[in-house]
Amino acid sequence: MSQNESQNQQVVELIGRREFIKKSAVGAGVLAATMAMPGFMFSEADAAQLKTKFKDYNVVFVSFDALQAAHVGALGYKKGITPTIDAMAQKGYNFTNNISVAPWTVPASMTWFTGVYPSEHRLLNKFSVYNPPNNNVLSNLKKLSPELVTLAEVLKQNGYATGGFTGNAGVNGIFGYSQGFDEYYSEKGKFGSMGVSIPKGLDWLKKNKDKKFFMFLHGYDMHGQFVPEEGFDYRFVDKGYDKKYTGSAKEQEALREEGLANGTVKLRDEDVKFWRAIYDEKIQKTDAKFKEFLKEMEKMGLMDKTIFVLTSDHGTEFHEHKRFDHGFSLYDELIHVPLIIKLPKQKSGKVVKDQVSSVDIMPTVLDLLDVKMPSNAAKQLRGTSLVPALKGKPVAEDVFFETNYRQYTYKRGIRTKDGWKLVYTLEDKSRELYNLTNDPKETKNLVDREPRRAYELEQRIFAHFKSIGHDLNAQQWITGLNPVYDSQAKGAQNK
Amino acid sequence: MIRSCGNTAKTLMVALLMSVFYFPGDCIAAEKVKLPERHEYTNVIMISLDILRSDHLGAYGYKRETTPQIDKLARQSVLFENSIAHSYLTPVAQMSVITGQYPRRHGMVSFEVTRDQVAKRTLPEILKYYGYQTAAVASSPEFFMRYDTESGKIVNPKDIFSQGFDFYGRTMPDDTGSARVNPVAALEWLKANKEKKFFLWVETGMLHPPYSQTVPAPYKTRFDPPEYTPFYEKFPIKPGLKNVDRGVPTEALFHVYRDKYYLDFEPVYTLEQKDIDFIKGRYDAALYYTDMFIGELLKELDALNLSGKTLVVFHSIHGEGLGEHGYYFHHDVFDTEVKTALMFRFPGNEKGGVRVSHQTQGIDILPTILDYLQIPADHEAQGASMMPLINGDDKKYEGSEYAFIDRLPWWEHVLGGWHLEHQSEREAQYTPLEIKKMKAYQVLLQSKIGGNKYPPECIAVRTNKWKLILRQRNLLLEDISWWNFISGVKYPVAGLELFDLINDPMEQKNVANEHPDVVEKLKVKLLEWDAANNKNRGEFKPVSRPSLIIPYP
Repeated sequence: MSQNESQNQQVVELIGRREFIKKSAVGAGVLAATMAMPGFMFSEADAAQLKTKFKDYNVVFVSFDALQAAHVGALGYKKGITPTIDAMAQKGYNFTNNISVAPWTVPASMTWFTGVYPSEHRLLNKFSVYNPPNNNVLSNLKKLSPELVTLAEVLKQNGYATGGFTGNAGVNGIFGYSQGFDEYYSEKGKFGSMGVSIPKGLDWLKKNKDKKFFMFLHGYDMHGQFVPEEGFDYRFVDKGYDKKYTGSAKEQEALREEGLANGTVKLRDEDVKFWRAIYDEKIQKTDAKFKEFLKEMEKMGLMDKTIFVLTSDHGTEFHEHKRFDHGFSLYDELIHVPLIIKLPKQKSGKVVKDQVSSVDIMPTVLDLLDVKMPSNAAKQLRGTSLVPALKGKPVAEDVFFETNYRQYTYKRGIRTKDGWKLVYTLEDKSRELYNLTNDPKETKNLVDREPRRAYELEQRIFAHFKSIGHDLNAQQWITGLNPVYDSQAKGAQNK
Repeated sequence: MIRSCGNTAKTLMVALLMSVFYFPGDCIAAEKVKLPERHEYTNVIMISLDILRSDHLGAYGYKRETTPQIDKLARQSVLFENSIAHSYLTPVAQMSVITGQYPRRHGMVSFEVTRDQVAKRTLPEILKYYGYQTAAVASSPEFFMRYDTESGKIVNPKDIFSQGFDFYGRTMPDDTGSARVNPVAALEWLKANKEKKFFLWVETGMLHPPYSQTVPAPYKTRFDPPEYTPFYEKFPIKPGLKNVDRGVPTEALFHVYRDKYYLDFEPVYTLEQKDIDFIKGRYDAALYYTDMFIGELLKELDALNLSGKTLVVFHSIHGEGLGEHGYYFHHDVFDTEVKTALMFRFPGNEKGGVRVSHQTQGIDILPTILDYLQIPADHEAQGASMMPLINGDDKKYEGSEYAFIDRLPWWEHVLGGWHLEHQSEREAQYTPLEIKKMKAYQVLLQSKIGGNKYPPECIAVRTNKWKLILRQRNLLLEDISWWNFISGVKYPVAGLELFDLINDPMEQKNVANEHPDVVEKLKVKLLEWDAANNKNRGEFKPVSRPSLIIPYP
């Protein structure tokens, strides 16, 4: 340490201030590497030699729908229910502070494929016009934002075979999710499983494995509306649980609607424990399905030619804030999701603790593949490539997120890289400010104690949305409760 | 702002150590040693004069010496020659100043609104976030009086405007019964809080009709024509009125239209030049007496050694019609009512003497204060910082090229709510015919503009060259005009007026027909603004009948 200090002091004498800061950054990297500080484990040599352009390689983009970061082993969960995902995280880049732009499927997922915020791609709800009984218009990317180019379109233009294999519902092709895909499968009429989308995907892979391909693989296996075909075996449920709940989709939906109607849901601690146990069972089963998928990829000899992106669109709430399910709030249990990027032939893992956003994923994938956006959409992407992070460079950023969930609420938020979070609710101008460093569970609203910080973060939120063409003051935010599921449509119409 | 990077060896050591453990950001050490921002050491005083016409100030060219102290302040300040208020009504216009929002957004659109309907992010509120002690001393009852019309009692002395203030002071009624006196308590507050970083709002309603009511002798009669007896004393509204000079009574002013004085709906007297001189003289007398107080306030600042670190913002909330359009009062969108005085005296009299002719709006005042103090602008504010205009960099001013004025609420609505009901409080007594007719007028108002809606639209757009006024319901306005009512003549109300402000600053001649292209262009701008700001347009939520403010006691 003292040697380093004196060396650096010499440097100070020789160079200007700004230069000094740049140089000391390199110094810090070296030091950190030798000290083996987590999150900063690169040597200069590694970083310099690292291959970060993978022209004409394949991409498999996997969305484990509704996977809360806190239930992933690679992100600190102790139960070991995600061995396959964890293994990939260990070999690849594990972004431990990846924040989704939205807390539910429809708006969140389209950001991966357009590189813009939900307000911009406009897939904010199931219906773009909800005026029952006859004037309902389903949201559709081509209709709402015809100028946007999707990731699949860009890759297709660059000679990729493109295939999407999904569990339907929020990522149904009807919303425009199929835009740019040669083949796009949605398991009809339900929140579909990887048990179905994986075999469909593998069939397609067999046909396309000799081409360069982009594959989107998705399933609702962890989602509240999914129940395994064979039912639950309750492997993680306490023996003594009184079985007030069984884990059904209907129960989950009822709990969500109760929370929306009353503001809170009444659940006992043992019920919350039960629901988390059910969730763990679903996650473990999904991980096993994904393992089988990788085995098949291996058999086809594709592993070394493929970049993997594993992530989730959003988390889910287990009563952390007295409600259940997801979509209507912006707490960390909803927007903090895993992001793992594994490069071809990569064997040793890196943890990237810098905060990043799901809006960065599309620019990152294009950067890795060395593919440029078409000239007519050159300025489309809002995020920044995370490739510098692979080289150990800092990529931490303040990130933004939003929800207009069923027009029940309109929330916008910012999470700063130094650990502060403000959520602004447009319909009533209420605000929640959290110090995530001291209060990671977001229990103490500091708006009144830190009025200046709240004011300044609020300005940041509004400035951000204004900068992307959305003056949040230019419209009135009128709440209702529109349906997302067919089962709700009738009741909602009566409102 | 340019953040300077520190350059001492100690700072570098800090930077060195920090860069080992943190990702190096841009200028980390500079964050630690950056210069303090202005809000960390600058006080703010806002002096608001209700009813002040800028053209009665020497600094704005008035010939009579009414305001030596304000003129002195003007020489030390940046002066805005064309600052436009958004409404003729005190709380509506002032809320725009302290929120930076048009009335339709801030929601203070009538006297009947409740606290929850009005924007809460006001200037004192924001300054509190930044550690300011906030204090106010207001003398216009609009800012502190809420009144239960049924019980006749003040039910809540704290008005909507107290939001964000640590101390919210008010004046007390003097011998004449009016609280519209100089807010001298502000001087005491200053002395007691001189060590603190503060925002002080000093508001006075001294100029409000009855003109000169609370001005003491000898100042009250300072500008009276010699040997003059007021015309209204010859034709008293209240027979046998005690011979006490309470200024030019509001009731008398309300019975004057186009130089005729009406009683029992008959023109009983035609005002002569000396009568007009007297009315204006009494207005000026109140201004002179107010000016003395402003002088004292500024002297106190000097005595406390605060002038060097205090931003003084001086402005008028709105103006006053002094006969130019036939009436003496304020209820319309003419320049007499909406063209206001505005000055910023920066610490050290920086830029003192600069005069900005570019048109600006009331909503620009808050963004300018925040910008100067280096506080981030509030997204809810619709105005823009005038600092570029102050610095002579007009191109960087992001404010509107147009000023927008809303006759919100309709004055007739205000009038219907209180005028007749409270005559007895002001000891005005009317003849049986007057009372009968005024009751009929009240019924007329209720039937024509009843409910929870004001009739749309009565709006105006202004540049330094033109003013376009759009009265989409001009025939209705004609029907319910107080002045038409009192005179018994149906003076026409134009649906569309265009005034050439350079050649006709008092807006006497409608030139809409001569300039159809100008009309078309301005109308488009006005309607665009109207459509983009349609919240709270002419609507108010019904409140339970009590808790009205009595606006003009």
